Amino acid sequence: MPDEQKLDDSDRFNLMLALTGLLVQGEEYEIAELVKHFGVSKSEIIKAVKMISFTDLMSFNDFGHYLVDYDDLDDGFVSIKYDFNNAVDEVPRLSSRQASALAAGLVYLSSLPGLVDNSEIEELQMILASGDSRGASPEVIIKPGSRDADLITIRDAMAKGVTISCDYLNLRGVTTLGRIIEPLRIDPQGEIIYLRGWCSESNDVRSFRVDRMRNAKPTEIPISAEAKAAELSDEIYSPAETDTIVTLEVDPEAYSLIFDFKPVEEPESVSEFTKRFKIKVGDVRNLGRIIARFGGSARVLAPESARAAVREFALRAIGESTPITPRDVE
Amino acid sequence: MTNKPSNEYKVSKPERLFSLTCALLYTTRGLTKAEILRSVRGYDTEYVEGGDNSSLERKFERDKENLRHNGIQLETRIPAHEDENNQATVYLIKRESFYWPKDIRFTPRQLALLNLAAEAWAGGSLSTAAARGITKLRAMGSVGEDSDIVGIAPRIQAHEPSFRDLNNAVSDYQVVQFDYRNPQTGEIMTRTLQPWLLHQVAGQWLVMGFDEMRQDTRNFMLRRIIGKVTPVKLARESKTFEPPAQELIDAAINDLDALAKRQTALIKVKPDTEAWFRYELDLVTGKKTDEVEIHYHDIYVLAEQLREYANEIEVVRPESLANFIRAGFEKVADQHA
Repeated sequence: MPDEQKLDDSDRFNLMLALTGLLVQGEEYEIAELVKHFGVSKSEIIKAVKMISFTDLMSFNDFGHYLVDYDDLDDGFVSIKYDFNNAVDEVPRLSSRQASALAAGLVYLSSLPGLVDNSEIEELQMILASGDSRGASPEVIIKPGSRDADLITIRDAMAKGVTISCDYLNLRGVTTLGRIIEPLRIDPQGEIIYLRGWCSESNDVRSFRVDRMRNAKPTEIPISAEAKAAELSDEIYSPAETDTIVTLEVDPEAYSLIFDFKPVEEPESVSEFTKRFKIKVGDVRNLGRIIARFGGSARVLAPESARAAVREFALRAIGESTPITPRDVE
Repeated sequence: MTNKPSNEYKVSKPERLFSLTCALLYTTRGLTKAEILRSVRGYDTEYVEGGDNSSLERKFERDKENLRHNGIQLETRIPAHEDENNQATVYLIKRESFYWPKDIRFTPRQLALLNLAAEAWAGGSLSTAAARGITKLRAMGSVGEDSDIVGIAPRIQAHEPSFRDLNNAVSDYQVVQFDYRNPQTGEIMTRTLQPWLLHQVAGQWLVMGFDEMRQDTRNFMLRRIIGKVTPVKLARESKTFEPPAQELIDAAINDLDALAKRQTALIKVKPDTEAWFRYELDLVTGKKTDEVEIHYHDIYVLAEQLREYANEIEVVRPESLANFIRAGFEKVADQHA
């Protein structure tokens, strides 16, 4: 279940429509059940039910009401009785924005290897289109990315609750053979698929890029209790005490860096479109490729060691790297 | 048994919208604006019979817009014998446009998938629309704990500031304007577009549509949009466009695919480097090679990707690609000198 949403007026109206559509079918629900089902707080459910019950059209003598028993509500149960037809008595359709957002989400899921059948997605897309009040085709299309065979192995291992072994290439270009990972969750983020796994050597959750794995195989070893109890944050990279704080400046073409690295504080606008922010970096040497790839739309302002790493990477790439002076190798 | 709030109760906006929806669904002949303001909860207490109700009328206009954004189609009719009289316009919501077609139910597995599809937007550009959509769908069935899709937390990456405005413009057939930076010259130009759809190609978000200046179909990369996307106004009204025929959209997508099939680059890769892995040369069976052919849509995006592997690859062709890569590095070296 997702975290409880923070609701605004349009969300509340939307929730009222959905709740009415569900409750007029006549069943009684526990409020706790509705909280879980809709992913909103108990007070939001109660507020919505009360607002539904206040509905009143003065000019229609024959217009009834949505009747809610407030004693039941106090006891944690909710049901609606109604004594008229022709108002909200079913679940309303989606708006085209809502249908389009869900349809795009489905296309994204279908691009993840081995997760769902395309026929399953197509069927859902058709249902969504029929429930889109405008009846239009999807407005957002996401192209399926490359298919990683190893992902299927990982998913199998997760279903069986066993660890995997694989060859893994790290950022420095070193391949570790037969690395053991306890798989916890697959985090596809845009085009890159990460495996969040427990690393028993470091006793910590680590993120592994699936495209850097080879020869993934399930083992016979069950996933450990420590791994199962591990907390998974949403951040792929967890900063450490020893990290260096680096100041970056980006043009719109490189805004993606703001989302790839969680800035330490809110980015600051330095000109109309240029933003400046600070990030935490484990090893500034890794910044070279990350910044230089943008070819000018991302810049490191400080510290000097990080600027030097970027400069060196760029100079080496064009064959103008300065020779290493004795000072650098002490 | 009727539930009544106390007298001092202030009717909130969601409540007013809900009452308005009920009233417009309930009526079969339609309601005039005056009838709505006089009788629907949330307007009625502020309505002054025969007085100035202009602020209330503006509220009603905003509410209509709100209902539309929620997928509720308002119909307006002018009774035949009143064709000169604007005051006689009536509003209603047709049941068939409001509800799902009959017999639609979701299986627990389907709802679980839709749930995951909505969660993929979490914190992203369409998270609000996705969350509202899934709220309605959850009213149509129970979510299954599908063992198959537990342990996956997908995230769609769409953080470009223009994404949501463009997506709304696509939904509303709204002509938009934005400043766009040419990747080669760096020149910024204002473009006017009838946006048809947003699509992600090779990891980049593009908006496809009809470019009013070039009078042709064009794709724009969202990253290169500088500043805000603004709706084009015509005499204070938003300028809208006719929905394009599906064939036009399909043809434009095919054109883009054909472009990538036509445009290829050849690069040479140093064995056992990260690039070797990235381009999966270690997986090549049969004759060993250190060359890989890459299809591309946009040479600047490819140059960017290849800069990451600068010391592990060499561009064989096209020469322009090698030049762009180099020019980018020179600029970076200067900036960090």
